[in-house]
Amino acid sequence: MRVIIDGRECLARRGEYLLDVAKRNGIFIPTLCHSDALPGQSSCRMCIVEVVEGGRSKTVASCVYPVLGDIEVKTNSDKIRRIRRTLVKLIHASSPAGKHMEDLLERYGPLPENRFEVAEGEKCMLCGLCVSACEALGTGAISTINRGTAKEVAPPFKEPPEACIGCGACAHVCPGDAIEMKEQGGIRTIWDRNFEMLECTGCGEYIMTRQQQEYIKAKDPEGTVELLCEKCKRKKTVDGFRDAFKNTGF
Amino acid sequence: MDCIKQGEGTTFVREILDRYPKEQRFLLAILQDIQKRCGYLPREALELVREHLDVPLSRLYSMATFYKALSLKPKGRYAIKVCDGTACHIRDSRGLVDALEKLLGIGPGETTEDGRFSLETVNCLGSCALAPVMVINDVYYAKVTPEKIAGILRRLEGEDDGDI
Ligand code: SF4
Ligand code: FES
Repeated sequence: MRVIIDGRECLARRGEYLLDVAKRNGIFIPTLCHSDALPGQSSCRMCIVEVVEGGRSKTVASCVYPVLGDIEVKTNSDKIRRIRRTLVKLIHASSPAGKHMEDLLERYGPLPENRFEVAEGEKCMLCGLCVSACEALGTGAISTINRGTAKEVAPPFKEPPEACIGCGACAHVCPGDAIEMKEQGGIRTIWDRNFEMLECTGCGEYIMTRQQQEYIKAKDPEGTVELLCEKCKRKKTVDGFRDAFKNTGF
Repeated sequence: MDCIKQGEGTTFVREILDRYPKEQRFLLAILQDIQKRCGYLPREALELVREHLDVPLSRLYSMATFYKALSLKPKGRYAIKVCDGTACHIRDSRGLVDALEKLLGIGPGETTEDGRFSLETVNCLGSCALAPVMVINDVYYAKVTPEKIAGILRRLEGEDDGDI
């Protein structure tokens, strides 16, 4: 499949998402609600681009737009820039205190007077990434609740969620830094629940919660959960190789 | 109508669940059945649905709070729905809500203390020609005016012998 993005010819597999094609070819498209590990949310719309196909132009969200034929793409046309600026205004009105605003203001600011009602202090823009991450893990401890202007992210009955294992995936993926997660003295607090942290057996760094370990064990009763941080894991692999070579006499 | 409290236990939930294959696509239908039977979705019932279909409780809570037809709080024996869709809104559905609020002392989403009336607004009942429309249990009241409300409620109270 031949895709021309901003005048540059790129190769794409059929069905590949436009955003991924652009990324692979080093072409920048702004995103807020995207994580490489999760399916596209298509909720922030920052990733919009113009697609010209058969002489017709349309505006699409590149994170969920599969390439199915030869197309030409403009990621930064006047039209796209204009729409993106409106999006930034809307996102600012919904979540002015979110961490994502820092970057947005730097790139698109200063914003003209916002005619939309601004939700002062709000960090969450309701992109849904956190819910998606929790679902993908199979825990499903949080979801969006209510609808329209009352919509928010919360655990069932707004109580500390029983299904939560304290992995912190929701807080990590959140572009707004809207989910509070604290760690103190080996205890992680998130969604109003406390979790005991387990240490890396190599260096003693806290790496996961006890519930997380139990959850992994329950999923794969045969496997063992190695309590090693990424660094120590790598070191162990390297050491393993070295020993193996030593034994073969090289 | 509070089935679980009235000692019916959760057997009715089991009966409903048994009617459906264990597939997630029946989730909404199951919740609707429970709502219909009970007037709301008791928490115990949601727990049973969660077990039966193996879905996270968060999914159920999300649906229960998303759809106006579902409710987590017991509805009154007379569940009053005032349509606030475009046509009804233009024909002063707000005035109906105000009149009901004054007479019942509750706002939309609430139930009177004696459990008799609950009030809510809905977004369109599809009967725009009858605007403004109000539905009490399954009875439609067409072209209602704030003045008519007191009479309608009085008639209902007359019918109500306390054990509906
Ligand atoms: S909490 Fe963060 S990740 Fe979740 S919906 Fe809000 S902004 Fe998105
Ligand atoms: S990144 Fe595509 S809509 Fe948010």
